[in-house]
Amino acid sequence: MSSKSSAAQSGQALWTKMPKANAELFALTYGSLVTELVRDYEDPIEVNAQLDRIGHSIGVRCVDEFLSKADVAGMGMTTQCQSLRDTAEVVAKMGFKMFLGVQAEVGGFSQDQKSFSIYLQDNPLSTFVELPGDEQGGSDDLRRLKYSNVYCGVIRGALEQVNLKVECNIVRDTLKGDDLNEIRVELKEVLTDGAGDDYKEE
Amino acid sequence: MSSPILFVIVGKNEPLFEAEIDTHTGSQGNELSTRQNYFVLHSALDLVEKSAWTTTNMYLRVVDKVNHQQVSTFLTAGNIKFMLLHGGKGDEVIKSFFNEVYGYYVKLSMNPFYKYDTPITSKAFETRVRAAARSYLS
Repeated sequence: MSSKSSAAQSGQALWTKMPKANAELFALTYGSLVTELVRDYEDPIEVNAQLDRIGHSIGVRCVDEFLSKADVAGMGMTTQCQSLRDTAEVVAKMGFKMFLGVQAEVGGFSQDQKSFSIYLQDNPLSTFVELPGDEQGGSDDLRRLKYSNVYCGVIRGALEQVNLKVECNIVRDTLKGDDLNEIRVELKEVLTDGAGDDYKEE
Repeated sequence: MSSPILFVIVGKNEPLFEAEIDTHTGSQGNELSTRQNYFVLHSALDLVEKSAWTTTNMYLRVVDKVNHQQVSTFLTAGNIKFMLLHGGKGDEVIKSFFNEVYGYYVKLSMNPFYKYDTPITSKAFETRVRAAARSYLS
């Protein structure tokens, strides 16, 4: 990986190439998706799981588009990600920039370099959103809802396609009064490539 | 001497939001006058319906006058009524107040968790409206 700024630069280059959608339309579409899930499943924990599942299917597809376009940008493939640190940079600076147009920051690496955090200053999904407080109908406790949980699924799905099994979790959320959004990503294992030992050539 | 200011948002069937704004601290409205204010405001609703057809503007200006109190109204595109009871403020001032509240209302209605024509419980909305009222109407 060349340097931090180059990831940001090619993220910018990718972003200019992407077809754009209206941010409000995007936010409202996601909003109605989430509220529909809340209506259907009622239990916020189940809604979180569904969002993660949806995100996973998105991520599995996204990564292909990302890799094909990033290659054209003249960087991605020529310099492979050597460590999780590089992967984190690429996900935050290029992935998020390319698909959402926002710059994410990376930080909070653990001692064993197996987990990191992605910080989002502004979250395009949660424009206009205000979680209903506890004053109205305490039965369905929406404070446990992770509104932007689709991110977790996307990251999980995308990295799974490149043989990294990760677990994601939203640990800080501006909707819940935190000052920024933090997604914690934890590397569980590096998967071995498709074919098993039986098929390997001697 | 300032009369109390009452701001109410009325939906299709019920009031959605109410805020009583004292322009001066200490001018505590007693219960009787509070009730009377609500009565004046709600009885102006018929006049709102009537005057809505006389103009193409959203801002309907003063629709009703009772003694010293006046009721100004703003009608949103979704037929939600913003009504303000006041003791004779400038037309333009109230217009800018309504426009600002309209901005907040639009933001609120964009929230996927807010359903159209239901009571507004958002705390943030209330503080914003009160702040706007303070800056324009006091």
